[in-house]
Amino acid sequence: MIRCLLFWLAVLGTFLGAPALAAPALRVGVQLEPPHLDPTQGAAAAIPEVSFNTIYEGLVRIATDGTLHPLLATGWSVSPDAQHYVFTLRHGVRFHDGSRFDAAAVAFSLARAAAPGSLNIHAETWREIAAIRVLAPDRVAIDLSRPDANLPTLLALSDAAMVPPDAAETLRTHPVGTGPFRFGAWQRGDALTLERNADYWGTPAHLARITFRFIADPNAAYGAIRSGAIDIYPSFPAPETLNLLAADPRLKLVIGPSEGEVILAINQRQGPLANVLVRRAICHAIDRRALIDGAMAGYGTPIGSHFPPQSPDYVDLTGVCAHDPALARRLLAEAGYPKGLILTLKLPPPSYARRTGELIAAQLQSVGIATTIRNLEWPTWLDEVFQRHHFDLTVISHAEPFDYDIYARHDYYFGYHSDAFDGLIAALRTTTDPAARHRLLGDMQRQIAQDAPNAFLFQYPALGVQDRRLSGIWVNSPTQVLDYHAARFSGAGTDAAQGKSAAGAWAAWIAAALALGGLIMTGRRLGARWLGGRIAVLAVTLFATSVVIFVLLQIAPGDPAVTMLGIDASPRAIAALHAEFGLDASPLTRFVRWIVGALRGDFGTSFTYRVPVGALIGERLAVTLPLAGLAAMVAIGIGVPAGTLAARRPGGVLDHLVGAFARLGMAIPDFWLGVLLVLLLALGTGWFPAGGFPGIEAGFGPVLHALALPVLALAIPQAAILARVTRGALADVLGRDFIRAARAKGLSDSAVLWRHALPNAAAPVLAVIGLQVPYLIAGSALVEQVFSLPGLGRLAIQAIGQRDLVTVQAVVLLMATATVIASFAVDVAQALIDPRVVRQERA
Amino acid sequence: MMRGRASLIAGLALTALFVVPALVALVWTPWDVTAIDVAARLQGPSARHWLGTDPFGRDVLSLVMAGGGVSLGVAVAAIAAALALGVPIGLIASARRGWIDEGLMRGADVLFAFPGLLLAILLSAVFGPGAFDATLAIALFNVPVFARVTRGAALPVWSAPFVAAARLAGRSRLTIAMTHVLPNVIGPLIVQASIQGGMALLGEAGLSFAGLGVQPPAPSWGRMLADAQTLIGSAPRLAIVPGIAIVTAVAGLTLLGDALAAHLRIRRGRA
Repeated sequence: MIRCLLFWLAVLGTFLGAPALAAPALRVGVQLEPPHLDPTQGAAAAIPEVSFNTIYEGLVRIATDGTLHPLLATGWSVSPDAQHYVFTLRHGVRFHDGSRFDAAAVAFSLARAAAPGSLNIHAETWREIAAIRVLAPDRVAIDLSRPDANLPTLLALSDAAMVPPDAAETLRTHPVGTGPFRFGAWQRGDALTLERNADYWGTPAHLARITFRFIADPNAAYGAIRSGAIDIYPSFPAPETLNLLAADPRLKLVIGPSEGEVILAINQRQGPLANVLVRRAICHAIDRRALIDGAMAGYGTPIGSHFPPQSPDYVDLTGVCAHDPALARRLLAEAGYPKGLILTLKLPPPSYARRTGELIAAQLQSVGIATTIRNLEWPTWLDEVFQRHHFDLTVISHAEPFDYDIYARHDYYFGYHSDAFDGLIAALRTTTDPAARHRLLGDMQRQIAQDAPNAFLFQYPALGVQDRRLSGIWVNSPTQVLDYHAARFSGAGTDAAQGKSAAGAWAAWIAAALALGGLIMTGRRLGARWLGGRIAVLAVTLFATSVVIFVLLQIAPGDPAVTMLGIDASPRAIAALHAEFGLDASPLTRFVRWIVGALRGDFGTSFTYRVPVGALIGERLAVTLPLAGLAAMVAIGIGVPAGTLAARRPGGVLDHLVGAFARLGMAIPDFWLGVLLVLLLALGTGWFPAGGFPGIEAGFGPVLHALALPVLALAIPQAAILARVTRGALADVLGRDFIRAARAKGLSDSAVLWRHALPNAAAPVLAVIGLQVPYLIAGSALVEQVFSLPGLGRLAIQAIGQRDLVTVQAVVLLMATATVIASFAVDVAQALIDPRVVRQERA
Repeated sequence: MMRGRASLIAGLALTALFVVPALVALVWTPWDVTAIDVAARLQGPSARHWLGTDPFGRDVLSLVMAGGGVSLGVAVAAIAAALALGVPIGLIASARRGWIDEGLMRGADVLFAFPGLLLAILLSAVFGPGAFDATLAIALFNVPVFARVTRGAALPVWSAPFVAAARLAGRSRLTIAMTHVLPNVIGPLIVQASIQGGMALLGEAGLSFAGLGVQPPAPSWGRMLADAQTLIGSAPRLAIVPGIAIVTAVAGLTLLGDALAAHLRIRRGRA
């Protein structure tokens, strides 16, 4: 009852905060931010998730059941040998930049995808196109070098999107397509906004605007959908909260199948796992239902082969390898391992994989197979498991539609090789008859179910959560994208208008001027030689730091190009990317290039976002600096006075109170404090937003409102430390002889405190503040994660996860610089307060 | 005097509350922490499971006990390593001054310039995530802390009259460092070690929370918090229990450190 009341208060708060608006806008939560916005030049599933069928369109569209429908092509014909196609194109279609969509654009788009150096994930497939002939402005012929009945289906995928010849080079940052929405703005790390295309060739979209917000953290996602900051989450990251969300009268769950098959992949190149009996034993040891219940909160469909259950060609083969621990043990013994096995299970980051892996380890344990679990970051997983095949077992969802051909690729990471299966694939390629294709697809599923190359677990569910009033969204799309074209709100609309621009550079100039003025003043006070020496040391330290950073990042495993292009990238695409980013140069060359660039203020181009790293950091600093600055102010404002009060009467009531506060505050993890604050003050009362950042230009009020909880979560533990250190240092000083002497000569308590005690106690307090500043700037990543703030710490962690080494280098260098400068400032401050330091050094 | 003893006892009691179950968990827990029973998942507290079960049906009390052992091991190892490296660095820096001091302290700066979390990620990228990588990261993170505290506390001692007297008497710097300086920095070091011990527990929790520390199936408070995060609406117990465990352990350690520091100061005053 109370919870219900609190919830409605939260909803009320949200609605009071949002202006009522006529034009409906949709705010979509997505887990992963796309690295760029050209789906034809990269494999990240996050790219088509936001850009395909919104900005870009293909010639053909696939319906939920896998059937094909006309889109930019109104129809097509195919020769009996499935080698020659003719497509008829829709009239009157224009790209967003005004250029005409015609047969030349089709020829350009496909040729670009196949070009040498193309980063298209199906580049090898497009190279099977022998010729593209423009028959008329609205007719184009495609001739293949070998038969492929599957071509129209491939043309419906996002990497065959139609792109304008004149604007193709800048699509990554300024996407242009024919779709119902055009590119609006992209606040990296936070949100992407698309605007309605009023000149759309079909019926214009109902929605005036779509804002995609990037929230991967399950808790933040829960907070965002619960507080109404997000209207729809097509793939919700926290299945365990769905029962709570289902009870929410404002929300609706839309749960359907996806193209993702979650498998326990088995490296069958050598050793015991090359034996089909061992692989079958593993498969029989697994209880799929328990995995779905334990890891997916009951959502998901068991599968017995590598095929999505919603397909008309699906065959239910879950019985081929049913849960049977006794049989599993017998098979192990028969294979020659009666005492069991020890295997390594390497898991990628997503929570479904980690949870499923942990459950599988327990299930395998019960049949005598011991597993060592290793949790890997994406780049390490791609490197160790996917590229170098150093693994026994792994859990992964294969989300690509029509990806059964991976079982015919013998160099693929799990290393399956079956002549029978290869024969079926070859036959499928040349077969156009629907009935014959249906038979072949069924035989393929049976073949891999028998051979048990992997243990097939369950189909990953598309767990959609949305505003109840939202309708028309096409779920279960095979191409991993939603159709926002027909989406509409029933009743009133909400609006998420957020004008954003880069933060001004004036703050930096003022800071630089202040720093310079301070340096000159300090130099006059302490002597130029002392200061000069300090600055020289500062420079040497920074150089040494940059060397350490560079070397450490060289050791870290994982090829950034592979991370960027994903698991289906061709070797040629990887080589092209290496050349583009100069990764093929020697380490020394790259180091020199980096340092010289950094000195000129050029930190290079982000591997992930393809924009200058400097600009990226600037955006993030606009969040992190206010956050860290406010947290430092709050921490000092609470901690130092509290410590001083406590030290004045050691053993007094205040001392006890402050001591208790300090102990409690220091003992609470800031990220946990953040979670509790969200629960109490955001979800509970709706007084504060559960996460997100309105942008620095939104003004002081909104920024303070958004940062209040994160600042508190960050500042309280730091305030506790400061209170403790201040009290300790001050109490120590107050007990010394010279204080007693000062008191004896009749000075008042406050004069003793200000003139004698505080200056002597300042050194340790300043030292701790010097340590806290870098912590607040960098270590706030976990708090930023909890509140989904696009800050610098999160950028660093994301960048490491994406192997965006250029960004990692720049961010770490920046943080290191901040630390070294803070340390320098502490030295100077200590010297200013206590000139003995300088005199002693001169002596 | 009484109060000092009271806080010593309170500190010992809280620390024991964390250490004893953790040590017991090495040999016995009420339930097997690796035993997964999905059918019994997310049960509330009962006679069978005093603190209920987690989403995998594991006993939360057993997990908290065993998680404490892991956290304790990581924290103790990390702080010991950091003291062993940091104190000599700080002492040498304060004794030699000049370029040795500069070199050591700037070296510490370089090390410290890697914020803890970033350091842990870089290390986990090289060594792979796990308890070792977390221990190493926390230890490295703490070396410059102890070095600075030692140096900061030792500096005033070097300019004290009794040190000048000892130098006039011809004592070597090493002897002075060991007999006069070290005893004078032990107080701040104990206070700092108690703070850093608590911070190490928090650090381990944070790293495990971020998936960079202790790996499954080994239990850990940080991992329990991370797993419970999204369930805080439906099963807040799962997030609150490990949170309270962390707060108790850290508060106990700092209380104990404080009481010890007070004790030392009194003894020194008497001597």
